[in-house]
Amino acid sequence: MDKKISVKVCLGTTCFVMGSSNLQELIDTVPKKYGDKVEVSGVPCLGLCSIDWEFSKAPYVKVDDEVIKEATVEKVLSAIDAKLK
Amino acid sequence: MFIDIACSQTKKYNQNAYGDYFVSKRYPEEARLIAVLSDGLGSGIKANILSCMTATMLLRFIENDQIPIRKAAEIIMNSLPVCKVRRISYSTFSAIDCNDDGSAKIVEEGNPDFVWIRDNEVIQPEYETIQSKTFKNRRLKVYKINLQLGDRLIFCSDGVTQCGLGGGRLKLGLRREGLIVLLQDKIKENPTISSSELSQYIINQAKNIETDRLPKDDISACVLYFREPRESLVFTGPPYHQEKDKQYAEMFANFKGKKAIAGGTTANLISRELNRPITMDTTISIGKLPSCSFMEGVDLVTEGILTLTKTLEYLENGEQDIDNAAGKLVKFLLDSDCISFMVGAKLNQAHYDPALPIEIEIRKNVIKKIAKVLQDKYFKKVNVQYM
Repeated sequence: MDKKISVKVCLGTTCFVMGSSNLQELIDTVPKKYGDKVEVSGVPCLGLCSIDWEFSKAPYVKVDDEVIKEATVEKVLSAIDAKLK
Repeated sequence: MFIDIACSQTKKYNQNAYGDYFVSKRYPEEARLIAVLSDGLGSGIKANILSCMTATMLLRFIENDQIPIRKAAEIIMNSLPVCKVRRISYSTFSAIDCNDDGSAKIVEEGNPDFVWIRDNEVIQPEYETIQSKTFKNRRLKVYKINLQLGDRLIFCSDGVTQCGLGGGRLKLGLRREGLIVLLQDKIKENPTISSSELSQYIINQAKNIETDRLPKDDISACVLYFREPRESLVFTGPPYHQEKDKQYAEMFANFKGKKAIAGGTTANLISRELNRPITMDTTISIGKLPSCSFMEGVDLVTEGILTLTKTLEYLENGEQDIDNAAGKLVKFLLDSDCISFMVGAKLNQAHYDPALPIEIEIRKNVIKKIAKVLQDKYFKKVNVQYM
């Protein structure tokens, strides 16, 4: 059996105000859609905004090692789909 | 010793202002606390003005240290005008000037004698009486006492001792004896009851005794409880010099008392330096704030600025019991007596991007404001260290 895909939603200040608060939906929809193949959780901070601040692409989500910039529910779901293919 | 002080009050029915006035101030550098309770003659606005003037003037006199407390009280006693209607002094007062080491000076004029409780027994201290030279009916009581760990002092206005006066059960009112019975029963039931709970209990009981639960006078009770301080530490923001991360993380780990972390980067830093994993709550946000995470040996882990800004708002407005990260931090802070803040001075540039939908405050400023409100409004001892 493959390893679980991990989805990490950054809950740091910048990401939160830039929209990760709207990603709550993932917590409910992902288990319904993918069962236990994918695991979603928040993380205190991915530390990306302080490196990438000039471009300001928050909110950030990590799907395994892939960083999703300006994350939305749709972007995250399609990244998961791509991984599962 | 830490002095846990609180005052609860209720107004005379049909009045829209308190006729009793309570004021207290802590002086952390001198380990000193002064509190004054004054009862203005009559009720409503008139009494409010009289008691407020007496209490604030007395506090100023005592804090200036130019004259001893007994002299200050004597001057006020001799100069208080006489109420035209009742021909007696227009306000009464009790004042205490005490130190963390337990030494205390107390003066009383006209208010009921304070109650001193140790091991749930009442102690009757000796006092000196000073007769007013100008008014025959005014007498000042001066006490010099030494308090021990676990002692409580209860000051009240005559609204407490006279509640229920002329009513069915207590013809002469509750009186001091009745108050002592109430206090001893409550302390027996809950030996470590906080001052705010005990003072509120006195007020509720006094109200219950009044006919139809309508207070016939302003009722105030002030409680001082001398106990071991509850210490806590809030670590927020990464240190300015990154090479000192380890040193500060160890200071955090070695702190004896309750601990909180406010900040995502900060939480990662502590987790990395102390090798303690972070686990998250199963939700992302509660009430417009990021949810909390968990770390072994840490009582509370929250996001940084947004949570701190909300915490400040709740503290200023006196809002409690709110189910989000800031509500938890408020409870954490209010359940402590001595609070230390370790504040990292490093800024995250991304927070100051004008494209952000809300303005993000500078951490130092938020902490400064939180420290001030904790000191002034909640009488906490606060210490802020920048790193």
